[in-house]
Amino acid sequence: MKENTKIYWKGIEQLKNDPEFVKNADKEFPEYLPISENENGNSRRDFLKLMGFGVAAVSLAACEAPIRKAIPYLNKPVDVDPSVANYYASTYINGSDYCSVVVKTREGRPIKIEGNKLSKFSGGGTTAQVEASVLSLYDKQRLQNPMKAGAAVTWDALDAEVKSKLGEIAAAGGQIKIVTHSIVSPSTKKAIAKFIAAYPSTQVITYDASSYSGALNANLSSFGIRALPSYNFNKSKTTVSFGADFLGTLLNPVAFSKQFAETRKLGPKKKEMSRLYSFESNLSLTGANADYRSPIRPSEVGLYIGNLYNLIAAKAGAPAISVAKVDDTVTLTKAANDLWASKGASIVVSGENDISVQTVVNAINNLLGNYGSTLSWDAPVMTKQGDDAMMDVFVTDLSQGLVSGVIFFNCNPVYDHPKGAVIGSSLSKAKFTLSTSDRVDETTSQVTYVAPDNHYLESWNDAEPAKGQYSLSQPAISNIFNTRQAQQSFLTWGNVSTSYFDFIKENWKETHFASQTEIGDFQTFWDQCLYNGVFEGDATSTMSAVEFSGDANAAATKIAGKYKKGTGLELVTYESIAIGAGEQANNPWLQEMPDPLSKVCWENYISMSQSTANELGIEMKEGFTTKVNVKAGIATVTLPVVVQPGQAAGTVGVALGYGRTKAGKVADGVGVNAFALLSSNSEGIVYSVAGVTIEPTGESYRIAQTQTHQTFMGRETVIQEATLAEYKADASAGRYKPMISSYSGPKKPNAVSLWKGHEYNNHHWGMVIDLNSCTGCAACSVACQVENNIPVVGKEEVVNRREMAWLRIDRYYSSQGNKEDKSMEGLSMLEKASENPEVTFQPMMCQQCNNAPCETVCPVAATTHSTEGLNQMTYNRCIGTRYCANNCPFKVRRFNWFKYHDNRQFPDNTSMNNELGKMVLNPDVVVRARGVMEKCSFCVQRIQTGKLNAKKQGRRPVDGEISTACATACPTEAIVFGDMKDSNSRISQLLRLSATEEGDTEVKEERAYNVLEEIGVKPNVWYFTKIRNKELTDNQA
Amino acid sequence: MSSDSKYILGVYDNEVTLLNAVKAVRKGGVKIHEVFTPFPVHGLDIALGYRMSRLPIAAFLFGLLGTSLALTMQIGMMTVDWPMIIGGKDYLPLPSFIPVTFELTVLLASFGMVGTFFVVSNLKPWGKPKIFDIRSTDDKHIMAIDLSKNKLSEADIKKSLKDSGASEVNEKVF
Amino acid sequence: MQAVASVRKPLVTNGKTVHDVTEDICSRVEQKPTKTWMVAFTFALALLIVGGYAVYRTVWDGIGMWGLNKTVGWAWDITNFVWWVGIGHAGTLISAILLLFRQKWRMSINRAAEAMTIFAVICALMFPILHMGRPWLGMYWAIPLPNTFGSLWVNFNSPLLWDFFAISTYFSVSLVFWYIGLIPDFATIRDRATGPIAKAVYGALSFAWDGAAKTWSRYESVALILAGLATPLVLSVHTIVSFDFATSVIPGWHTTIFPPYFVAGAIFSGFAMVLTLLLVTRKVYKLEDYITIEHIELMNIVIIITGSIVGVAYITELFIAWYSGVEYEQYAFINRVSGPYWWAYASMMTCNVISPQLFWFKKIRTNLASTFVLSIVVNIGMWFERFVIIVTSIHRDYLPSSWAMFYPTRYDVGMYMFSFGFFFTAFLLFAKYFPVINIAEVKSIIISDSEKAKK
Repeated sequence: MKENTKIYWKGIEQLKNDPEFVKNADKEFPEYLPISENENGNSRRDFLKLMGFGVAAVSLAACEAPIRKAIPYLNKPVDVDPSVANYYASTYINGSDYCSVVVKTREGRPIKIEGNKLSKFSGGGTTAQVEASVLSLYDKQRLQNPMKAGAAVTWDALDAEVKSKLGEIAAAGGQIKIVTHSIVSPSTKKAIAKFIAAYPSTQVITYDASSYSGALNANLSSFGIRALPSYNFNKSKTTVSFGADFLGTLLNPVAFSKQFAETRKLGPKKKEMSRLYSFESNLSLTGANADYRSPIRPSEVGLYIGNLYNLIAAKAGAPAISVAKVDDTVTLTKAANDLWASKGASIVVSGENDISVQTVVNAINNLLGNYGSTLSWDAPVMTKQGDDAMMDVFVTDLSQGLVSGVIFFNCNPVYDHPKGAVIGSSLSKAKFTLSTSDRVDETTSQVTYVAPDNHYLESWNDAEPAKGQYSLSQPAISNIFNTRQAQQSFLTWGNVSTSYFDFIKENWKETHFASQTEIGDFQTFWDQCLYNGVFEGDATSTMSAVEFSGDANAAATKIAGKYKKGTGLELVTYESIAIGAGEQANNPWLQEMPDPLSKVCWENYISMSQSTANELGIEMKEGFTTKVNVKAGIATVTLPVVVQPGQAAGTVGVALGYGRTKAGKVADGVGVNAFALLSSNSEGIVYSVAGVTIEPTGESYRIAQTQTHQTFMGRETVIQEATLAEYKADASAGRYKPMISSYSGPKKPNAVSLWKGHEYNNHHWGMVIDLNSCTGCAACSVACQVENNIPVVGKEEVVNRREMAWLRIDRYYSSQGNKEDKSMEGLSMLEKASENPEVTFQPMMCQQCNNAPCETVCPVAATTHSTEGLNQMTYNRCIGTRYCANNCPFKVRRFNWFKYHDNRQFPDNTSMNNELGKMVLNPDVVVRARGVMEKCSFCVQRIQTGKLNAKKQGRRPVDGEISTACATACPTEAIVFGDMKDSNSRISQLLRLSATEEGDTEVKEERAYNVLEEIGVKPNVWYFTKIRNKELTDNQA
Repeated sequence: MSSDSKYILGVYDNEVTLLNAVKAVRKGGVKIHEVFTPFPVHGLDIALGYRMSRLPIAAFLFGLLGTSLALTMQIGMMTVDWPMIIGGKDYLPLPSFIPVTFELTVLLASFGMVGTFFVVSNLKPWGKPKIFDIRSTDDKHIMAIDLSKNKLSEADIKKSLKDSGASEVNEKVF
Repeated sequence: MQAVASVRKPLVTNGKTVHDVTEDICSRVEQKPTKTWMVAFTFALALLIVGGYAVYRTVWDGIGMWGLNKTVGWAWDITNFVWWVGIGHAGTLISAILLLFRQKWRMSINRAAEAMTIFAVICALMFPILHMGRPWLGMYWAIPLPNTFGSLWVNFNSPLLWDFFAISTYFSVSLVFWYIGLIPDFATIRDRATGPIAKAVYGALSFAWDGAAKTWSRYESVALILAGLATPLVLSVHTIVSFDFATSVIPGWHTTIFPPYFVAGAIFSGFAMVLTLLLVTRKVYKLEDYITIEHIELMNIVIIITGSIVGVAYITELFIAWYSGVEYEQYAFINRVSGPYWWAYASMMTCNVISPQLFWFKKIRTNLASTFVLSIVVNIGMWFERFVIIVTSIHRDYLPSSWAMFYPTRYDVGMYMFSFGFFFTAFLLFAKYFPVINIAEVKSIIISDSEKAKK
């Protein structure tokens, strides 16, 4: 910027060089500021440690005497500095989903969730649901008081009544059931034990909305352990998945994605990658990332697995099992060969909730000797403990009036259990019904008492996701409403006077503190754990030597018995990446997050293959589709159709978690509840329905889709991909290198310019995105939404193609056409996605072009370039001509078509339209006004904070301390952000930057490319080619 | 113009007679005050011996002013006062300045000239025109001769006007 | 020049005398408004008010009222803008260029044509302002004004800013040009005026014009130089408008052929609109003797020529797209012709390229009805041309992931209605209270004709 020759004196002191002034002249702020200067030389970790101590005290206070009034900062809390963020390690537990997290708070308000890098179990990443969970804290629909029969009561009154009622029942020996999702927290279990001690006739019924009962029981019969082994996908050279979406929703997707990505990353030193086979009905995230994917009917899964067993057994010399043949033996044989080739370094996994199928899967893994290497019993996973059989019994008992007391512990079976209707109707038969749910949901609305639980960000808790791996959650804010932690309630009702906090602490003292030796004093140990958020117990578990003792043959016969051919149209349900099983359905961020594959948001739909659609005479174009009546078993629902490439012929798919009726304003009436279509019996919940009939209603319908075009039209400059073989032969395989012919021979597009360009002397921020390790999980896009106060526009506006996402994930299918065919037909074929396509995910945000076309055209210079290579958007200068957006070749600019904040027309945008929701806004990012343009800023606020911290400590920013929200959220580290001027930064390493003789730097990494290189806008975002581990096939376009 | 000076007015029906008349009358040594016509009569100014208008020069000068003003403004704002990196262009992107420079040149040239025209011809909304004969804006051509400015006698002038083909000869005093 | 005129048919028929001219034209101004005028005026006002509601909602609620989206950031707004600007070319062009070429036939039509220009440009200017997200700021932030931020200036790299300068210059120069022409006629009306108000008003409007030979000679050189300045100006305006697209990076916009092609298109649509209006004025005001078939035929010939130029441009675009070998460029044009907006392209082609060719037949180009119809057809076609260029180019550009469709809302239509409402209202007021034909100039040709008659 311009040299300022004038000298403005700051005050009279400077004018007459007052000694006091001179002393402080060099300081940024002459007078003392409450911003802690004392961290000079200390790292952020120590800073966090301090906070750890601080919060322990504060939260203690919070738990005992909840503060409900805002305190002015006249007398500043010791650990809260205005405008300085505090970070607290904690644990996200929702239903039975687990993630170890770090909570960012500003002025005492949690505003952002990030992954806890110290966690072995979840590995530092997050999922979309974890990222969004912070908004659920500020959900106005949460209960604000304990309730009795729909009226607010005091806790004392409630406790008294509950105790007496339970007392009576227990005295009479009546059955009391605590219905819950899997309880991951040991202390919670202990607390409940205390409760049971007080009411001995109590029994805990555990179920999971997405049940693992089958697998658990299979493991019980095969290994004698009712748990799931810990999967090490990072050790697996060949992975075969049968409808198990381990990258999206299965068990622990955050860690699994990380592990999987490790095996997919390539570089000059690592030229090997794993291979993934997927046999599934719906196109799942896992299927989308598979090298080989064959669409199969759900009824055939068992057969396929059986056949795979036989193929492996043949190689292993084990006896074959009797199972019918299947169609696609080619891929299956190929898979078998690869599995065998990588014995002991492979995984076969199935999502089937069926004991016999899972037994065969175990048998296969056993034959392959995967146990002990890729599948380990050292630290069995404890997050899933549901028992469908028990639940089934409970439902019958309840309906027969045998149950006198029911406590629903943070679960909502009336909604998310196939027999929910029965439960709902027969609840009246129980004398005592209570729910700890945080809102009046489908179940809670039918119980007498409600003892609303805290949000996890208000709670003390601990967790043991896997044996020997513990973590703590601590409150990041004192209770917003008059709620009480459910565990506290159990203790109270169980006549235990201690607070749950003390209870946990006590518990840890007895177990973990005792189990370790390095720290002598408990308080230190406790603070250490609290600060880390996690504690690794001694992993040397006794269970290492488990032997497989399952009976594959018996299982096979059962499978054969169940299987009946020609079951007509089959419906397969799945958990959507955004909504999961619907616990957080009232979270608008999740509702507006487009499905990674169909790009549909704000509802669920029937997905069917093109062929099925043709049979039904349904066509879908530009989001225009038709509604159909789906008759599954006794139930009939009406849903819009989405033609989904990759959907197995003869099957249709529908997402669970939608169709909430009492979740809150945002979620109610969005989509249809697919749980109601499912059936459940003593053997477990069946997540698919056979013999489904579909008749079009003829009612045309426009679905909210953020991307309507399926293929990338064979444009190599957008997507550049190759196969592993090609890559090994030539590292730049699949790269598209356009040349511009000039008077002095052909030149690289960037070399041709009218201008000499500008040097960035201090920093030059850049980003690398590895298409190979991006699984499309969309954690980044939600993280971006949270970090940058991006409004939710609601379904109507998404239909109008006006979603505001700064970071979108473009999903491209391979097409039926061939680039070379220049005819009209060829072109129209290019637009059609293949029946079973290859999928590529491409995170797309502002490319921060050095020659930005948007900057040139702005009449008022509202968007300009920074001296650090950032394309800046000056909101309050923007007059909204939208010229920049039109001239953006990447179409990443977003316009505020309406006033999205404080506007009754956008009730779904809860984070800007109610005073509680606004607490989640990031104070470092302005909420944009109507009529201005906005776009990705590379999280400039984070860059500035990072630079400021470094400056305060008189040093250069260290690589990694400054990172964008998306890069931080990414579980697979597919997104890497950094300073390209810093030769040691990860980004410089990845790009293998080196100076040329002309003095400018050049990118040595062969896989790195800019999208649309030939138009010479010089983006600062680099993509690495997509490499598929498969033999050359013809369907590449 | 001094008050109550007497004018002799020759009224002509079409511009051809007018043109000849002007020539004849001037040959007769009569000083013509001014001729008023309802529409531009080509060659009249020459006949009356008027000098070529210098308005084009004014236009040119104003044009120059426009050009320099435009360039100074643009360079001053974009390059000197607060240079910014815009689309990777230089701080002095001259090609970008051409359109605005052109427009301002034209703008100032035309406005400057028209302004000058109004001033020199004393045209202004609040002005009171001296109408010698109301028909001069309809279909008659009026030749006005200021008696006081002429040595010839009123009779002679009237005569020469008659001879030059004036349809009528009137008098008017202002 | 006279020689030229002499071989031509007289430009004013029925041997009108100079006095008749004054009578015929001034009487319109002096009489009470006719019934037809009242009806037309009410209709125009109604249009203005209905459209006004759309404007109100847009300004109050936001641009979201229109059908635009993340991919298609401009559609009807800029289409209308360019369309109106195009129309606004004929007037000054006719007066300026034809004056330079001493084409006397312009004289009886340039007044109305220029008026139309002024109003069309105002209509055009509405859209860049109303299409902004924050018009209340944009209106003056686009002007390089000193401000409290000291060093906060506009961006002279932006074609939009060039546009702003070009259009406002064009507008003001056209206005001056037009007004200069009006002054002597106002004087005529002033001298005929009876009522005191009329006397005062027209007195002021006429700038105390006295028709002195000296003033006339100055007047003539001013007119000549203005014409000389206005001519390149006219050409520059649409050239710069075309820069909005030509300097961008979007396939289908980024085209060097745009400047000449836009200018031709502008003249094309301008003449068409002039015809539409004149044919009506002529009928209503019974000006058959001033606006003769001769005029209409000459204008139709201009329409054939410009129409054909535009047609050639369309073909050239397609050829260059193919010849360039750039896949985006190629796709952009294949998509134009055969994509979801093929119908827009088809109507553009029929209306702009095919229909004007009918004027090769003398019967058609000298027939009022067919001229009237075709003049409207041409303007429909030109509207589609701008729509095709703007929408079909951006709705499917580089990254297929963002490809989207544009569907107009009733507010898009309302905005367009509003501009029409304004245009007609203004034109009717002009036609009533201003001399629709340049009295002084026409008088001068009457004479030269009567001269010819004498010989």
